[in-house]
Amino acid sequence: MRTKVKTITSEAKLTRILDAFAQELVESSDEEIFAVATDLGMDLQKWSSAFAGVTYPARPQLSDFFDLEALQARLLIDKKP
Amino acid sequence: MPSLVDKRVIRPAQTALALDLVNEMDLLRLKTIARVYARGLPPEVTWEDLLQEALTRVLVGSRLRPEGVTMVAFVAGILRSLRADYWRRAVRASANTDTVRIDHESDESLAIVMSDPSPGPERALVALQELSAIRQLFAADPTALRIIEGLGQGLLAEQIRRSTGLSKTDYDSARKRMRRTLLREGLTCEPR
Repeated sequence: MRTKVKTITSEAKLTRILDAFAQELVESSDEEIFAVATDLGMDLQKWSSAFAGVTYPARPQLSDFFDLEALQARLLIDKKP
Repeated sequence: MPSLVDKRVIRPAQTALALDLVNEMDLLRLKTIARVYARGLPPEVTWEDLLQEALTRVLVGSRLRPEGVTMVAFVAGILRSLRADYWRRAVRASANTDTVRIDHESDESLAIVMSDPSPGPERALVALQELSAIRQLFAADPTALRIIEGLGQGLLAEQIRRSTGLSKTDYDSARKRMRRTLLREGLTCEPR
């Protein structure tokens, strides 16, 4: 009898691995997170880089530094003859 | 004159935190999971967007948490379905261009337009690149690589242990190392 050969697409394989990784992370303990953060030099305070992309944007945006509405109003005033 | 209106935009993660739906550690867990599920998605779909979108769905109540499921596991499920949604939409968009017409004895009224249900070459290539990046991430840990290979084939823990000849202790310590590597990768401040 011939052995059945099952071919797995790379996408299916990737999905299974990502699901398994996600499950591992769901089960990770606070202690493990804390230990890794300490290794990375993160102190896990509110504005720690660990929270980049979570409680504040990972990439700084123009609106973080400038009041764009005020800037636009100013540009309109400048444009007026 | 200072504005009377507070124009700050509160992020869904901050709202979820304020409402005690999650704590800080849960948010960090979810950040690492969002980064896992963002693997292989195009650059315009960031892990940050996936995470905030998943939390928004919880906040607006479009997804309801079943009893007995932790919030982290629940949001992880939403992240997974957001990823699947993205690919479904991408396949549908490409189906509009890549279709095969099957004519029934030249009768135009019976012609069927079918799209190819298999992943396109672009998606397959992206998956191969991601698999290679994952192998690279665990390159220093051959045991972890063998476990990952087994996971990719859909094997259960017991089957992986049997096929690799790993003892339960070795398997568990390898999983612990893998978790640590994933946390390390997920907590860094790289935007993607």
